[in-house]
Parts: sequence; structure tokens; C-alpha cells
Amino acid sequence: MKSINKFIVTCLAVFMLVSCESYIEGDGINSDPNNPTSVPISAQLPAFQIQIADMTGGDFCRFNCMLIQQVEGVARQWSSFNQYTGLTPNRFDGGWQDVYENVLNEIKIARADAVANGYNHHQGILNIMEAYTIQMATDVWDDMPYTDALQGIDAINPTYDTQASIYAAMYALLDEGLAQLAGPGGPLSLGSEDVFYGGNVDNWSAAAHALKARAFMKDKNYAGAASEAQMAFGDASQNMAFKYPDVNAAGPWFRFNVSGREGDIEFHPTMRGLLESLNDTDRLAVMDGTFNASHPYLVADFLQEMVTFREMQFILAETDVRANAGGTQAGHDAYLAGIRASFARFGLGDAEYDAYVAQPEIDPGVGNLTLELVMTQKYIAMYLQQEAYSDWRRTGIPALEPVSGTTIPVRWNYSANEYLFNANSPDETEVSIYTDKVGWNR
Amino acid sequence: MKRLSLVITMMLVLFGMTMAQRTVTGNVTDATGEALIGASVLVKGTSVGTVSDIDGNYSIEVPAEGTALVFSYTGYSSQEVDLGSSTIVDVVLREGVLLETAVVTALGVKREEKSLGYAVQKVDGGDIARSGASSAVDALVGKASGVQITRSSGSVGGGSRILIRGVTSMVGNNQPLIVIDGVRTNNQTLLSQGSTAGTAASNRLMDLNPDDIESINVLKGAAATALYGTAGATGVVLITTKKGSSSEQIDVNFTSSVGVDNITNMIDLQSEFAQGRTVGGELTWRSPATGESGSWGPKISDLEYATDPNHPNAPTRANDFDANGVYRWDPNGFLVPRGTGNGQPANVYNNVDPFFQTGMNFTNSLSIAGGNDLLTFRLSGSDLRASGVVPNEEYDRKTVKLASSIRPLEGLTISGSVNFTKSDYVRVQQGSNVSGLLLGMLRTPASFDNTNGLGADRANSTDDRSAYEFADRSQRTYRGGGGYDNPYWIINNALGYEDVSRTFGNVKVDYTVNNWLGFGLNIGYDLTSDERKQDFEIGSRTAPLGRIRLAEFNVKQYDTYFNILGSGNLTEDISLNYLAGVNVFSYDENRTFVDGTGLTFPGFLDISNASNITSSQDANRNRSMGFFGQVEASWKGTLYATLSARQDYDSRLGNPSNFRLEDTGFFYPSASLAFVFSELMDNTNILSFGKLRLSWAQVGAGPPNPYSTQSVFVSPTISSWGSALNFPVGGVSGFDQSSLLGNPNLTPELTTTTEIGLDLRFLNGRLGLDATYYNGKVEDAILNASLASATGYTNVWLNSGEMTSQGIELTLNATPIQAKDFAWNTQINFTKSENIVQELAPGVERLFLAGFNTAGTYLVKGNQYGAIFGGAYLREEAGTAADTDLNIPGGQVVINDDPNDNEYGFEAVDPKARAIGNPNPDFIVGWNNTFNYKNFTFNFLLDWREGGDLWNGTAWALSFFGRSQLTADTRQESPTPIQGVKSDGTPNDIPVVRDRSYWTSSLGGFGAIGEQFVQDGGWIRLREVGLSYRFPATDWMKGGSFGVSGRNLWFTTDYDGIDPETSLTGTGNGQGFDYFNMPSTKSLIFRLSLDF
Repeated sequence: MKSINKFIVTCLAVFMLVSCESYIEGDGINSDPNNPTSVPISAQLPAFQIQIADMTGGDFCRFNCMLIQQVEGVARQWSSFNQYTGLTPNRFDGGWQDVYENVLNEIKIARADAVANGYNHHQGILNIMEAYTIQMATDVWDDMPYTDALQGIDAINPTYDTQASIYAAMYALLDEGLAQLAGPGGPLSLGSEDVFYGGNVDNWSAAAHALKARAFMKDKNYAGAASEAQMAFGDASQNMAFKYPDVNAAGPWFRFNVSGREGDIEFHPTMRGLLESLNDTDRLAVMDGTFNASHPYLVADFLQEMVTFREMQFILAETDVRANAGGTQAGHDAYLAGIRASFARFGLGDAEYDAYVAQPEIDPGVGNLTLELVMTQKYIAMYLQQEAYSDWRRTGIPALEPVSGTTIPVRWNYSANEYLFNANSPDETEVSIYTDKVGWNR
Repeated sequence: MKRLSLVITMMLVLFGMTMAQRTVTGNVTDATGEALIGASVLVKGTSVGTVSDIDGNYSIEVPAEGTALVFSYTGYSSQEVDLGSSTIVDVVLREGVLLETAVVTALGVKREEKSLGYAVQKVDGGDIARSGASSAVDALVGKASGVQITRSSGSVGGGSRILIRGVTSMVGNNQPLIVIDGVRTNNQTLLSQGSTAGTAASNRLMDLNPDDIESINVLKGAAATALYGTAGATGVVLITTKKGSSSEQIDVNFTSSVGVDNITNMIDLQSEFAQGRTVGGELTWRSPATGESGSWGPKISDLEYATDPNHPNAPTRANDFDANGVYRWDPNGFLVPRGTGNGQPANVYNNVDPFFQTGMNFTNSLSIAGGNDLLTFRLSGSDLRASGVVPNEEYDRKTVKLASSIRPLEGLTISGSVNFTKSDYVRVQQGSNVSGLLLGMLRTPASFDNTNGLGADRANSTDDRSAYEFADRSQRTYRGGGGYDNPYWIINNALGYEDVSRTFGNVKVDYTVNNWLGFGLNIGYDLTSDERKQDFEIGSRTAPLGRIRLAEFNVKQYDTYFNILGSGNLTEDISLNYLAGVNVFSYDENRTFVDGTGLTFPGFLDISNASNITSSQDANRNRSMGFFGQVEASWKGTLYATLSARQDYDSRLGNPSNFRLEDTGFFYPSASLAFVFSELMDNTNILSFGKLRLSWAQVGAGPPNPYSTQSVFVSPTISSWGSALNFPVGGVSGFDQSSLLGNPNLTPELTTTTEIGLDLRFLNGRLGLDATYYNGKVEDAILNASLASATGYTNVWLNSGEMTSQGIELTLNATPIQAKDFAWNTQINFTKSENIVQELAPGVERLFLAGFNTAGTYLVKGNQYGAIFGGAYLREEAGTAADTDLNIPGGQVVINDDPNDNEYGFEAVDPKARAIGNPNPDFIVGWNNTFNYKNFTFNFLLDWREGGDLWNGTAWALSFFGRSQLTADTRQESPTPIQGVKSDGTPNDIPVVRDRSYWTSSLGGFGAIGEQFVQDGGWIRLREVGLSYRFPATDWMKGGSFGVSGRNLWFTTDYDGIDPETSLTGTGNGQGFDYFNMPSTKSLIFRLSLDF
């Protein structure tokens, strides 16, 4: 009896002695053992670089290239997108979130680290990637939150900046990036964690010029574009691109076509008709494979290009034709170099290229180039490049008939989440994807 | 030495039985001498019993070990009479005191039912066993008011969601705390795949053998559960398991049951039109090799077979014919218009009904129990083997449970139980994935045979793969090998395995010094290991290169209580009891995932065959400590007042970088009052008992998840449409700031509830009504509030939510007939609860819970919990001042009258998504009836759920493919204008036919509109019906029963799917989705139980 009492008293004492505080604090029990609260810039960089590649080849490419009839949505959700009616705001949640949450916010965090530690070259490429991302985004969304964005709960309703001011910020980022890359790198050099260029600073600088050239085209600063394009890539090996490793981490089209969405999107009859009319049979055979694992171009280890040498060649050709009726030798050279690079990208050699350009309808000779010819070839060469949508909106080449209704959409809807959660967003009824052209397109 | 004496005592108990028997007779009357007809007479500690006849006389055979008789009668207090050597026992039963029944309340404290100021409802173990359900949660349906249970899937061992008084938490767990023998027990549903795909998920309470349950007490309101702290805020299901009795005898029970399961119903598919579509203006059959997904072709009756590859209508794809020129996709040949082929009319294949089989389950359980004043024990074991209605689905469960207690000293009891369960499942994929069983099955056109001419029985087996595979092992599907997995391929090549090993139990020490002082220590543990493997053989549409996914969950939960308690009379009129204690809880869950892709060769489904392996770990852990106290005072057995308080500390509120104990603590009080007003009234025959209950309680809670106070970096998953990209990518790892922003400033949320109840019993308890009204409000609710992603994040943990709730519960008990040989007992349970989301976060009007883009469940401001939100038709008042921007606006549907548009003449699409459905039922009624005639018992339970919307995603998708009967009907209608108005407000006069162009537009499957397939998910269902016979005691047997019962045999509903009782997302908060879920099942169960 007494020993029982003693036992109970002891138990009681133990309970009292257990420090509640140490139990609840529990040696950091409320910190996540599997996810760090901070990571070095080298661990962060590959994640958002691959995210940039994936959204470029994902939503941006699929929606943009469907709208310009390079591909056609034929089944399930994609059949209603193809008719434009399915392009409701919620369909753009993914792209919008990728831009802000998965890319721009990551760049912001990485930049803070790079600035604090004097990693100058890192700062440079962060600026270039930010410029790339906001250019791509504002080209489909026009005005967007920018200066007021990425403040977390300190600014839960970010205000909108005009596209013109975003473009101005974008040029500034590129100039700053070029300056940073031209200077010393600082205590940490760029290395293999840079999955685009493996730390090659010259290639990054070339990419910055390419992005300026791309933007100047839309701003109708053709002289500026020509001079930037000259400073951009020397050849296709300098393209800003990411090569997906293999089937286990495959490119966005392969994942789309093979895992779950097979048969939802196919090659577009409009583009097929265009290529057939130009006797472009070799490139057509590559593009028009069945959209599944056997597709010759949309392979698992896809090279996802963000901005390319061939795009620059077509910019040189276009600016030349715009400056000189019929174009000069330089413009003609660029035109053919662009076509040749396109053939190479599709795995086609000189024989196929030579046969193709031997047609006078394709190569009418120096002085006979037209905007129509240049933009048609660029449309083909930019197959499944999201920028092709901007080119089409800029020039209206090739002429396309709306799939449904009277107008092909000229922009994207804002994200449904943006309408819901940002009090400073416009009302969704005020935004029309058919009539509200983006700033440079007005 | 002591141990040896225990063993000896046990042996004595075991063998201390003789086999003689005697007859005892007597008479049962009330206090006035009136005979009581049909009073129950039971030999204590056995199931031997009888009832008194019309004169109140009885006669009973008492087995030798019978030492006492127990007399009971509805409305009267039961009475126990020691037999001694007497053979004649007359008793006088007294009225009204039945209400002194003790009920188990929070922390296992037994209290007089009449003293409670809150609602508690008890369900007997017998009712659980009789239900025939193999899981305790399923067995509870309809048996208590305030309880809502929804089975999620017809897969074997599919889980069920249980709610008490609706939802309590906005984004956290809403299922009640399960307490077995005083300690918390895990009833989780752990998901290893997305919530809208994967295999059916179980809820872990199914690891408890229902035959081990003595009783279940449902504690509903916050006042009833306040002592459990935060965890009890969602209600508590208190399960008391069976123990041995100190009757100095051994009871052996053997129960065996056989169940037969079949699917209840199937969605209405058309069998008129073939695979194909309009080509060149003609309805054309298209060969599977074209990849054609839809059944928009010609009438099957207009087609016949042909085999000649040179036939002008022969299909032309490379894989249409084999090297010998034989058509590959149908042994009969390809299809051509009637009159141009071989004259053999095209078959109409039923790819659905023959696929399913009759599921069987066999359960055997054995228990041995006994004891004396020193020691009691009960050992039980059970074995369940079930095969599903889907071939190759299996569920095996083995349980062993030992419960025992020792009273070595006066006042000291040491008791404990240990339960070991092994649950193994084999299940197939369901829901929104291309390997989901019904997804491919229901989309298959009626002109295509998934069995390739084998018939379902042979196609099921792995012996003949020709149903679903060609010689090169490429898949044979109706879309030419693409699209969705062939159902027969799935059940042989894409199975999910789940092996759960679990042990749980408790050790309890109770020591009573005297009435005023007692101690209790209860240590509970619950250890679960759950190992899973999901196969996707090479060629799976989900993972064409093959994939093996391994997941391992280890959950460790410890729950310890230490209490001091006592009670006694302060004066003649005032008595008091108190309880004070401390509760220490810890939860530790670790998950390991291994994902192997790119299998090297087929036929070897093991992770070693994968060419690319990634893995990840995930830990979820928290601790809490609570100090609590409760005092109850009563006056003259008439007025009872209870006050309780608890101070909790919850690690989930702690900020690891700046820990302060006070940040994690919160205090909450409760008070309740019971006023037994019938004590103050003259005893009339009409009202025998009347009590008014009032209670008020506040409950605090920390965040639903740990680690919410910090922002972290995660190894990201990049996804949009096709399969996701996981890091490391090609050997490069990466980290990304989580989209969920942590918040170091979180404070506890607070729920306040008020409850008022009335308990009335009439005619000596023959009729009883228990009514409860409650309302509650949760403030500062912690939720992952949505942010515009332009802020850099999509969600942030915030104390920003507010939700109100109210409800009514009614329980009506009646014994309309009680005669000598016949009695009818009936119980009606009525439940109505409503939770309205009042606030989410500043400027935020909805918050995603689960589901899809077209229709998902959200918290929507001003709407009931978990509203279905999605695409809607454009209405006239959209965008006007009357438009809330959230709900469907008023006015007629606007018709698209742009003649250039492909959707000309169809309903126009509202650019804003809207709240298009409310999945919460208006009310639930369970009507339970038991009829006893002599040794026969007949019972039935009707389960009525009124309202509650479901988004019928299955019908939505099938409309796109032209597979539903609806599409067969509408495509044959003559052109008619759709009801609505044109953009100028005039009535629509644009005639349209709702054919393929309609159902593949925004208005049909995969379009922007979700509204058209939101349907009323209410039902009336015969949940249980049973007939059983109770064996009388014999020389060698104490009794037993044989019964047959049916579960879910019949239901009626307006819902157009298979069964509205389904939930794609399983037991989670996002309810109201049906998307190719497994069909529900109905069961017939034969059960034999013998007592020795």
C-alpha cells in the first residue's frame, strides 16, 4: 500500500519535473527537417532555370502556337481551347504563377544573395533571365504588376505597371546585366549549376543582345534591333537553351504527348497546308509526326530554346527588308542563314536545304526579298517557339483565318486567381482577348 | 512468485466450471403488483435469457455457472438477484430509475447520464456487429444523430469519411478524434498519390475488428470534448473495447461470416452508336488505330463486319492489319456499312457489367474471455479475407487483441490492451488518371470489345493476354494502343499494394485511495507502418516506360494522461466530483517515397528494374501538452453544473528561430448545466423524465500542419498538363522557395459553441425525444489564405478565417409494441448542420480545397463549407449590380448569338467561375427498427440524405466522348432552340441539335462549363436489413445466433451517376466529386455466432 503511494507520488513528481518548455520546443521540432529555410544560390539556380525552360516550352508555347495554328487542340480540354471559348481565365493560372512565384520571386531571392556576397556575374545572368521572363509575360498579358510585385504579405494587392514601363525596366535589366558580365565575377564564379550556358559569360552577353533585338522589333526600333542582333549569337551553339536529359526528365512536349495528354494536340492543318504549298516536305515530315513518343522532333531529350541564332538571322533579314526595298546582300544572307539553321534544327542537312532554297519562290535572289517571304520563313523556322505569336501579331504574316468567330485572340486572359485575389487587378469583364491588344501591338 | 500465483488463479478460473443446470421460475411485477409483460430475464454474465409472459411469469434454464439473474424492463430500473440455491425468484421492479445509467464521458470518466449538460449518444457493440460492416465507421451510419458518414469508393477496404456536427476546421482535419480505451488512436487516411487519382484510400480505424467493440459513445459538442483539448474540437468517437468479466467463468465466442458483394449500379451508357465521327458529312466508323476517342459514329445497327483488307472501306493505318492481312482490333473484322461486308451484323459489346465480379469476404473471429475479482482477460483474434468486385482486388485483415486487468490490491487496478493488426490491400487505380479503371472502361465504344472476343472471365486472367496485349506486348486499347489503359490490362499490370502493420493499445493504472481521491495514469501508443507499391508495367498509359512507386509511412503516436479525481457528498443535497490532470501527446510521421521510372524489361515489377530512381522524405511531427481540470456539482439530483478548463501548449505554434513557450499556449474554458426538471414535478404517467441541457465552451487550436511558422525551400515539382518534372533533373538538384509563405506571428484560433438540449421521456421511457440545437463560431481561423501569385507566393498561413455553424439534432426512441413474444423498437436520428464561411482573408473570397479546374471545392465567402466552384453559363444579370461575383447571377441563360462562332446557338460562357453547387446535405435521417419475436430479430435501417450536390464529372467527360445515353438521345433530336435569351434579351430562337459539336464545345465534357453536371446527390437507401435467430442455451453451448443481413441493398436517387455516395478525394475535406470512381457495392452477409 505504501509502496503504491510512493509510486504515484514519484510519477506525479516526474510529470511536474518534465519541463513543458523543453518538451514543446523539442529541439526545433517545429522546423521542417526535409526542407531548408535557406539554400545557396548554386542550389537555387538550376531550379528556376529549368522552370523558365519548362514554362517556355509548356503553357507559353502550347497556347501561343495553337493560336497561330502551328498546332491544333483536337481532344478533351484542348478542343475547347482551340475554339478560343475554353481560354477562360483559370487556364492561365499556371503560366501566371510560373512567372511570378516560380521564376521572378526566385530570381529576387537569389539576387539578394548575389548582391550581399558580390557575386557580380550571378547578378548579371539573373538580370538577363528576369528580362527574358517579363518580356515573354508582358507580350501576352500587357500591363502587369512589376514594381509593386513580390512583396509577400506586405503588398497583397500589387498595382499594375504599363507594358511600356515594363519594357523600359527590361531594357535596363539587360544593360545592367551586360555591364555586370563585362566586369569581374566576384568571389563565386558561375559554373555547371548554370544549366543554360555552364557559366559561359560570353554566351550570356550574346543572349542579352538577342533579347534586346527581340524587344526592339516589337518596339519598331528596327535599327536598334539590327545592331543588337549583330552583337548576338555567332551560331546556333550559342542559343539560350536547355537540353532535357532523357525520358526520365523529358521535355515538356514529350511529357504532354506521352504521359496523359496524348492525342489532345496535333499538328495544325493550316501549317501543313502552308508547308505543302512551299514544297517544304522535308521539314513537314519532321514537324508532322504523330504527337506521341515516336515524334521525330518532340523527343524526350528535347532542346528547349529560349532565343536562337536563327531568330536573330530573321531579325537581320526583316530589318534589312524594312530599310531597303527588296533587301540587300546582308539581308539575303541572313534570310538564307536562318533557313539553313532551321533545317539543321530539324536534323536536316545541306542536301535538303539546298534543294529547298533552289526554288525561286523560296529564294528569289538578292534584292527580291519581301516581308511576306521573310516572315513566312520565320514562322516556319520558329515552329513551337512562343515568340512566333508576337511575330504574327506584329506582321499578320502568314494570314490566318480564325478557327471560330471572327477574331483570333490577340492576348491572354489574366489568371483567374489574379482576378480573385488581387484587388488591383482589372475586372475580368474589362479584358477581352479578342480586342485588347498589348501595348506594342496597338 | 506473484506471477505464479496469478497463473494458478487463472487455471482455477478456467477449470472451475461444472456442467450441471437447473430451472428457476418466478414472477415479475411493478410496485403496484401489476404483472410486467415481456420483462427481460438474463442469467448474469451469459447470453441465456427469456422474457416474462402475460401474467408476468417466467421460467429459465440456468447453467451451473449462473449465480445471479438480471431483470430489466423498459422504463424501470434493472435489478440483479443473487440466486444462491433458490429455484423460485419473484421480483418487483421500480420505475424510472433507468436513467441512472452510467455513460462514458471524456477521459473515460463514467457519469450518470442524467447529469450531463451536453449530448452524448451511445451505440451498442451488438448494433455494430449486426450491421455486417467490416469497419467501425461504416457500421455507425444512421445510428447516431449529428453524425455524417460517406463511403468514398467501392474498392475493397475503401475509406469512409465521418463528420460530427459538420465541419469544425476550415482547412484542417474535420474528422472526429477516435479514442479507444481512453487514448487517441489514429484514423488517418494517408495518400501517396494525388487526391484525384490513385487507388482508393483506407481510413485506419478499419484496423480495429468491429467484433472487439463493446460500445461506441459519440461526444458531439465542444463541452463534451473540452477535456480532450484541440484534438477533440471535431467531436470524439469513444470506443470501449470488450474486456473479460469477473464472473469467474470462461466465455468463448466464435463468429464466422460470409459476405457477398456486388456493384450497386452503373451509369447509363449508350449502346447505339459506334466509334467514329462525321467525316466528309457522313457518320463514319473509325478504326481504333485512328486513335478516335469518341462514339460519334454511325448506328451500330447500320454496320456489319468485313475482313478483306482491300475492301473500299477498309481502314488504312499501318497497325490496322497484321503481316498476314488479318485485322488486328476485332476478331470479327472491321466495320463497314450494312450490305457491303460479309453480312454479319456488328456486335454491341457490353464492356462494363461482365467485367465486374461478385466480391466475397470471409471473416472468422474467436474470443476467449474470463476472469475473477483478481484478474480478467480477453483474447481475441480475427481473420478477414475479401476479394473485390473488381477482379484481383483483395483485402486481408488479421487482428489479435489481448485485454486484461489485475486488481492486486483493494483500490488498485492495472489494465492494458494490445492490439496487433495486419491489413493488406491490392487495389487498382481509379479517378482522374489514364490508368483509372472506369476511365477507359466507360469511354470504350460499344463497337469495341475490350476482351478481344475472350469474354470477361478469360480476359481477367494473366494466362491469356490477348485481350489486352498484342504479341509485341503493345497494349490493345480502343484508341489504337493510346488513350487509356484497357481495364483488363490494368487489373493485371497496374496494381497498387498496401501492407499495413499496426499495433496499438494502452496501459492504465487506476488507484483509488478513497472516494475523494483517486489517481489514474493511462499511456497509449499507436504505431503504424504502411508500405506501398504501385506498379505501372511498361506500356502503361500513365508511364509508357514503366514505373514503380514505393511509399513507406511510419506513424508513431503516444498519448499519456495522468489524472487525479474524486467525488462525494458535501451535504445531503449537494455532491461534488472533480478531475484534474495533465495530457502529453506526441505525433511523429515519416514518409519515404521512392519513384523508379524507365523499366528495363517487362514482366519484372521491382524497383531494381528501374533505370531512374528518385526519392524523397517527408516528416510531420508535433507535440502538445495540456493541463486540465473539471468540477461538477449537483444539487438533489436535479441540478448539475460542470465547469472545466484546459491550458494547452502546441508545438505547431512555436517559432523555431525564436521559441517562446507562451506563443504556443492557449486557454479554454467550458461550462454546462443539466436541469432535471422532472424531479420537481409530480410523477405523472405521461412525462417520466425531463431534462434541460445548456452548455458553452471555447476551444483553441494551433495550425493544422507543423512548420507553418517558417518559409522553406522545397525540391520543386514542375508541372503543367502532362506528367510532372521532378528534381533532380538529370542529376542536377534544385531548390525553390515554397509557394506557401510561413508566418511566425500565428496565434491560436478560437471556436466558441453554445448548445441547448432537451431530453424528454414519456410513458416510462417507452417514448423518448432528445433534441439539441447548437451554434458555433470559429474566429481567427488559421488557414493557408490565397495570395495573388504576383506577390511571389500563392498562399500564406494567416489567422484570418471566420466560419459560423449551427445545427439541430433529434433522436426519437420508441417502443411502440412490447408484448410477451414481440417487441418493436424504433429510433430516428435526424441531423442538420450548416457551416457558413464568413471571412477568409482580407480581399480573399475563395480558397481551393480539392478537385479540378472546371469544378473544384472551395471555401467561398458567404457560402456553405466546401462549395463546388467552377464554370457557369452566362446569365442576364452577370456583371450587373445584383451580381455577387461569386454566386450564379439571376436572370435567364444567355445564348451565344454570334453566327460566326462555332458555339452559335449554344449557351454562352460566363467569364467568371461561380459557386455552382453545395455538397453539404440539407439533412440526414437514419431510421432504425428492430423487431423481436421470440428468438427472432428483424431489423432494418433506412438512411435518408436530403440534398447535397455532386459534380458528376463522369457524365461530363462521357458527354464529350458521346458515350452517355444522354448524348445518344440529344444527337437524334430535331433542331430546337435552347432555353434562354439572346444578347438583346429576346427569347432564343436559334435551333440547334446537341450533337458532337455541342458536347465537344465549352458546353460539354472538358469544356469550360461545370454547372451542367452538378446534380442533386441526395438519396434514400436501405442501409441495413437483417434477420437473425438467437439459439437458446444448451448443455454444451451458452447461446449464439445465426443471421443474414444486407447492406446497401437498395437506394433511390435523382443522381445520374453510379451512386451519389462516393468521393473522388476520399476522406478529405473536398467532397462532392464523382470522376470515374469505383462503383459502390451492396452486400449480403451470413453470420453465425456461437457462445460457449
